[in-house]
Amino acid sequence: MNKRLFVQITLGLGLVMAVPAMAQAQDAQAKDALARVKAEGVLKVGTETAFAPFDFIDATGEHAGFNVDAFAEVGKELGVKIKWVELPWDGVLPALEAGQFNMVAGPATITKARLERYRFLSPVAEATVAILKGAKDDSIQKPEDIAGKTVGAGKATAQLAQLKTYAATLPKPVEMREYPGFNEAYADLAARRIAAVANSLPNIAYVASKQPGTFAVVKPPFGQKSYFGYIGTKKPDDQALLDAVQTALVKIKSDGRMKKLQEKWFGTAFDTPDVAPEPSF
Amino acid sequence: MSFDVSVVLAALPAILSGLKVTLGIWLAAAAMGVVLGFVVAALRHFGPAPLGLALRLVVEVLRGTPFLVQIFLLYFGGPYVGLSLDPVPAGLLGLTVYAAAYFSEIFRAGFAAVPRGHVEAAHCVGLTRAQIVRRILVPEMTMLVLPQCVNMAVILVKETAVLSVIAVPEATGVISAIGSQQYAFLEALFLLAVIYWGLVEACGWAGRMIERRLSKFRFA
Amino acid sequence: MSPRLFELMLKAAGYTVAISVAAIAIGLLIGLLVCAAKLSPRPWLRWPATLFVSFFRGVPLLVQLLLIYNLLPVLGLAVPSVVAALIGLSLCTAAYQAENLRGGFTSVPRGLLEAADMAGLSPWQQFRRIRAPIALRLTVPALVNEAILILKASSLISVVGVVELTRTAQNLAASTYEPLLFYSAAGGLYLAINWLVAAGGSLTERALRRGRLA
Repeated sequence: MNKRLFVQITLGLGLVMAVPAMAQAQDAQAKDALARVKAEGVLKVGTETAFAPFDFIDATGEHAGFNVDAFAEVGKELGVKIKWVELPWDGVLPALEAGQFNMVAGPATITKARLERYRFLSPVAEATVAILKGAKDDSIQKPEDIAGKTVGAGKATAQLAQLKTYAATLPKPVEMREYPGFNEAYADLAARRIAAVANSLPNIAYVASKQPGTFAVVKPPFGQKSYFGYIGTKKPDDQALLDAVQTALVKIKSDGRMKKLQEKWFGTAFDTPDVAPEPSF
Repeated sequence: MSFDVSVVLAALPAILSGLKVTLGIWLAAAAMGVVLGFVVAALRHFGPAPLGLALRLVVEVLRGTPFLVQIFLLYFGGPYVGLSLDPVPAGLLGLTVYAAAYFSEIFRAGFAAVPRGHVEAAHCVGLTRAQIVRRILVPEMTMLVLPQCVNMAVILVKETAVLSVIAVPEATGVISAIGSQQYAFLEALFLLAVIYWGLVEACGWAGRMIERRLSKFRFA
Repeated sequence: MSPRLFELMLKAAGYTVAISVAAIAIGLLIGLLVCAAKLSPRPWLRWPATLFVSFFRGVPLLVQLLLIYNLLPVLGLAVPSVVAALIGLSLCTAAYQAENLRGGFTSVPRGLLEAADMAGLSPWQQFRRIRAPIALRLTVPALVNEAILILKASSLISVVGVVELTRTAQNLAASTYEPLLFYSAAGGLYLAINWLVAAGGSLTERALRRGRLA
């Protein structure tokens, strides 16, 4: 029966292709994360490249930003190269948990819920959330003026959670729009589809400084004071590696390199503690 | 890896609202896409040649580019040319136009497949052009194109998932957002897989039922 | 658009083509496998193949890709972004190609096979010389169609971290504030690629009809 032969040949081919891949995967599990990173000479970092000024694609098409510079320093300290994995933000944390990369740049706002699940390294910037509005929009003078308006934020972000908490305290409901990334939210604000975007101060200050005719920051920030940090998992396998990155970060902070980077990208240096204080939300 | 059913249950109202948006956009876009596609096919078949050529160009462009790019262009490029639509209308318009391009090709093939003799015979007995379309072409074609239309409807269900990129609160967007909030990433993905799989299978089953019902009208 | 950015777009288009071509080729192999299983008289082969086809045709590619990227590593199989994208696209197209191939194989006229039997051709010879060439010829138009579908579907693989044509356009649209320009350019490039594929397909078809290939 010719069919049988055909079936056997094709099924056999399939098996031959699958087996080596599995064997390789098991081999890689043998050492801990730090040893593997050192052996390969590569630290894999997941991030979203739509979070200026931390990670973004500049006008020449290059991946640039605070994170690129900061991790270049971390790479020097550890003696490894950095390999970036670029994902939409709502895909970054799932992929970290799945083990697709060693850690996440982001950075992520340090929150209670995230602290329960992830290990945060030394904070790198302030993350307090504020409102970005259209430059010519006079109807929003203070944060509470967003009541009754449509406000956008990134999906699966702490900024969105802060916005929701804040909106609940306002007299009129705020309509939320959740975007795959903040760039889409800025674009919609520029197109006047939404009245405001809620994001952390360093981000929107940067955006407003780049396009002063289009955007303006509404002061003061409405969110509770918070910090941005890089994160890793709580898996035992990852801890030695995260310890090493933490040591590198603290060193970069203490010798003044971090301050220079903050001034370069945020226009101002933040006083960020070596260890994140207990978050208030 | 753990699967936490309680996450799904707690978020049920939000999930259902997302499902409603998915179903609504899907059915509306499919229905309007069929009508628009039919008009395009008819204009290409019966209309003046330059119009036919222009329509052909539009259809080729729509069929030759990813839906994702089309929806980006419509939503983020639109405001630059004075077309500033909110997510749901933009998604509905984008999906309808996309669907119409494919439906028009299905109908065009359908028109061509109706035996010429039937049309000629209708001419001979004095039927007008409109009557020929209504009484000969459409009924005969319906049977010919039904399986492909069902296929296209199935493709459209899946394309609605793409609309989450322009912040349409449909099932994929809503459920993955809940997954992120609750750190139940895999649960959200499994739920999405099951929902779409179910919708697609149900759509296919419905298509086969209609086909069986209509099979008595098979002429060609 | 500056020459440098246009070059980036072209490179990204090249990436899109490379991944799509690889996925279509791997998908064809897996599709053959699944088709063989579906045509098998054994239910334990037929049943999983039917399930495979139903699943990969029933679930949006977006969800499939995320499942592969986030689930396989948990199950102990390391899949970096490109591999995950390749697996996702390949399995998805395999499901469609299996159905196309099945259509091809089942339309090989029985008389031809009976004649081959009489002429003493072994089952393998029958497969290689009669069934496969005829099925292939019958499925070329569907294969070209599938290639175009996969090229377009590859616009979704950025969700697992592959920066291809659409993602590049998205990045540059954001950094230059020119969405109209970059999304149109991306659309134009997809159109050009697909037009080339379609032209190549009809040439192949014509050659096959004249019996020059296969």
